[in-house]
Amino acid sequence: MAVEVDEKDLKAAGAELLSDSDRRGLRIHGWEIFSLKGSILNSSTRLQWEEKLQTSHLPEMVFGDSSLVLKHESSGTKIYFNAFDALAGWKQEALPPVEVPAAAKWKFRSKPSQQVILDYDYTFTTPYCGSETIEAGSNKNGSGNISETSSSICWEDCDEQIDVVSLASKEPILFYDEVVLYEDELADNGVSLLTVKVRVMPSCWFLLLRFWLRVDGVLMRLRDTRMHCAFGDGTNPVILRESCWREATFQSISAKGYPSDLAEYSDPSIISERLPVITHKTLKLVFHGNL
Amino acid sequence: MSDLDRQIEQLKKCEPLKESEVKALCLKAMEILVEESNVQRVDAPVTICGDIHGQFYDMKELFKVGGDCPKTNYLFLGDFVDRGFYSVETFLLLLALKVRYPDRITLIRGNHESRQITQVYGFYDECLRKYGSVNVWRYCTDIFDYLSLSALIENRIFSVHGGLSPAISTLDQIRTIDRKQEVPHDGAMCDLLWSDPEDIVDGWGLSPRGAGFLFGGSVVTSFNHSNNIDYICRAHQLVMEGYKWMFNNQIVTVWSAPNYCYRCGNVAAILELDENLNKRFRVFEAAPQESRGTPAKKPAPDYFL
Repeated sequence: MAVEVDEKDLKAAGAELLSDSDRRGLRIHGWEIFSLKGSILNSSTRLQWEEKLQTSHLPEMVFGDSSLVLKHESSGTKIYFNAFDALAGWKQEALPPVEVPAAAKWKFRSKPSQQVILDYDYTFTTPYCGSETIEAGSNKNGSGNISETSSSICWEDCDEQIDVVSLASKEPILFYDEVVLYEDELADNGVSLLTVKVRVMPSCWFLLLRFWLRVDGVLMRLRDTRMHCAFGDGTNPVILRESCWREATFQSISAKGYPSDLAEYSDPSIISERLPVITHKTLKLVFHGNL
Repeated sequence: MSDLDRQIEQLKKCEPLKESEVKALCLKAMEILVEESNVQRVDAPVTICGDIHGQFYDMKELFKVGGDCPKTNYLFLGDFVDRGFYSVETFLLLLALKVRYPDRITLIRGNHESRQITQVYGFYDECLRKYGSVNVWRYCTDIFDYLSLSALIENRIFSVHGGLSPAISTLDQIRTIDRKQEVPHDGAMCDLLWSDPEDIVDGWGLSPRGAGFLFGGSVVTSFNHSNNIDYICRAHQLVMEGYKWMFNNQIVTVWSAPNYCYRCGNVAAILELDENLNKRFRVFEAAPQESRGTPAKKPAPDYFL
């Protein structure tokens, strides 16, 4: 569903909406920013993904064709977000399973003979912060030759911070969208949800990739990645990436005097402050061999 | 036109009943449901439906495809409520049909027909929002305790919401469960509503959550053999194609909530069995936007930080 955007604002910002039917997005200051949305994986594609990721379990809802893409035309930089890369991160991190409260009681049940205990991370917790690449051929020099095979990008530590103050100003939003990458109901024991949302304003773009996990009665985990890019004149854009991981058990939440009632914990943006920060760092995208 | 017929007409328009009407309806339903067996006998022809989850307008599509009750005989495998926007209207319409045509519709219990689960996943909040009190939620959850746990079609097809239990090897063992209670956290009744078939185990498996059984092909083979049934029909798990056979056609999952949670893009299915138990899956899509009461919400641009 398209969000109404003021034509005048778009024009004033030198932006134009993309007109293709499957992509939603815009072109602005040398960037092409768009989202793609599809259905959950069908059974045969699921099997292919399971094989590729070497797992027999995937989230119940994997939006395999959905993604958010931000392409910078002059540098060839492409930043994108998709479920496959995020699940590859889950597979690699491979956290131990979290037991639900009922598990304590189940330990006393008579065990059927030859029972197999599955031990994959059913919460689908991922360290994914997004994917990035330099697109070959997109950086053309004057003669049309492709001349950037040697360039590469990587994220490096930096002292700068995302300018939250400027983001709080109510510039018009020229493009906004939220894309769900995967979701699982943990068989009605909570929620595991990976989404990315983006907003593009006349002066910058800003996005939030959020992994949100609530195992009912046990713990909450929030892994946020924010990226910000102020539009400028340089060949290479200045992009900051801030990761903030938070986590708390329901036990520690109630020990602090917060309610432990589940209904209080449906919206992570409201309760994130109650969850202590585990790690926090800001990185900057650095370009090599392409100055 | 009787009060009940009028109420059914009203519910078909997705208009909820008054609180006093809900109370009276639940009392009548209780008298019918209390007489049903834990393994309720169902005659063919019958149409089997999986999870609905409050997607009222999609359930209307289901009735368009499958035919109206009482002309079509229905078996619903539970999970009427939670997640969708219209759990109240969905459950009350099914319950009103049950009271009006008790022999033409069978409702069995899903894991969402529980006090605890509905407080987390939507039905409780919806009742509070639509009625300003939790009385309707109380009447409905009290009725949930009376819903049967399974059905047996012509002694040949066993139907249940979730699956099998290591504590159950015969149908008679299900018949002895005292079901009139909140769904427990463990034990046979819990397993019937919660467990899942699993390809990668052969016998029994335990979920990595530490609670919840998984059962493999050999478990199904021996259950079907010792109870002399052809196959098991269950719901409980989202299937993109609407239905899915496993273990050499010994168990089938039927899912009846198209475009689940209004965003998954999946199709839904119902399973029609004729008088000779010949199978026909009817696949259907979500109701078109214009037939839904309210227009789709556009995501409001949000100055998130």
